[in-house]
Amino acid sequence: MSQISRDQLMAYADGQLPEAERAAVEAHLGTNPEAAAEVALLQRQTDAIRTMFGPAGAESVPARLRPRRLAAEIDRRRTRPWLWAAAAVVLVGLGLGAGWFARPLLEARPASATLIADAVNAHAVYVAENRHAVEVGKDDSEHLSTWLSNRLDTTLGMPDLTEEGFTLVGGRLLPGEPDAGGRAAQLMYENASQQRVTIYVTSALPDGKPAYQFASYEGAEAFYWANARITCTVVGTLPEAQMKAVAGAVYSQLTEGDVGSKPPYRG
Amino acid sequence: MDSFLDQLEACVPALRRYARALTRSADLADDLVQDCLERAISRRGLFRPSGPVRAWLFTILLNLHRNALRASHRRGEIVDFDTIPEPSTPAPQPGHIALAEMARAIDTLPLEQKEALLLVTLEGLAYSEAADILKIPQGTLMSRLGRARAALRTLTGTPAEPHLRTVK
Repeated sequence: MSQISRDQLMAYADGQLPEAERAAVEAHLGTNPEAAAEVALLQRQTDAIRTMFGPAGAESVPARLRPRRLAAEIDRRRTRPWLWAAAAVVLVGLGLGAGWFARPLLEARPASATLIADAVNAHAVYVAENRHAVEVGKDDSEHLSTWLSNRLDTTLGMPDLTEEGFTLVGGRLLPGEPDAGGRAAQLMYENASQQRVTIYVTSALPDGKPAYQFASYEGAEAFYWANARITCTVVGTLPEAQMKAVAGAVYSQLTEGDVGSKPPYRG
Repeated sequence: MDSFLDQLEACVPALRRYARALTRSADLADDLVQDCLERAISRRGLFRPSGPVRAWLFTILLNLHRNALRASHRRGEIVDFDTIPEPSTPAPQPGHIALAEMARAIDTLPLEQKEALLLVTLEGLAYSEAADILKIPQGTLMSRLGRARAALRTLTGTPAEPHLRTVK
């Protein structure tokens, strides 16, 4: 067997012997029939194995072994948990979104309540003032009307309450709710017995929906209404019947012409 | 990615052939190949070596096969050793190896020898690639091959050297 190893014979039989060693092995086989028979046997074994199992590799591949199909299936399986997660996110988002968009609905009442509270506070603060009850006096009522109309971005006429026994004292501009334009106008009226009522006017709320509300707030009576153009709160400490009469007069005069879509030009 | 799937597809016939020889069951073999492909696809980019996918696929397939065997051992579904073929009678024709005997003989080989033998003979893989697939040194591979072939020779009754001498 000289210097040729069994591994070399096997490698030769398997066609894996390096080129450099091949000649030596072939020479060896030429003079060693046993070695040649060994190589032949190894090759027959290989042939037998290939004959038996080789054909399986030539069969048509079933669909379930197609990588593209498997990959698609795996992607589907993988995306499913993500879909659930995504669905959860969407649902939470919808909930939050619905909550956010429902906010004005939920706060519709608070919005009017806030305006009423503001109106009553402003009333309480300024009716107590004598020299500085108003910013612009009744003598300059035309300027007052124009000024407040411009500031509120609407037309605001001065209601005439002489029938109810009240005369205009004057008006002032106040900071207001951001939702209602951020500004408010307060008009003050006084009767002969120096009872005062104030009218608190802002631009319309974002929804612009009509609303009416009577409220008793910290000892004052408030009549609030809103339409597409303005919100208005009449505040006073008069008996209820008198308050209603005043409020009715204010309402009818301030909403005059508001029935149509176009606000009347008053000034 | 598409080229990756193409590479997988090109390997499927070889994987089926190899799995069939390992398991001796068309269904088991295809199950094994399917598991192998699924694993490969879901692990692409994670464990995939930079080289050709063939060696990687064979490694996956072999691991799956070993795991399956271990599981079936635990379940007691192991092949009954009584069914292991008797040492066979000599081949009817000199130089011809009876295929059925050869198949039975291969079944009796230790798994590590069978794996190595089939990689090199059936798949015609280079020793280096087969060793790489089995994660063993090439010397170990060749020793397994040598033992496997000697066992086959005995089991199939193929005339050994003394007999060959008389033939000549």
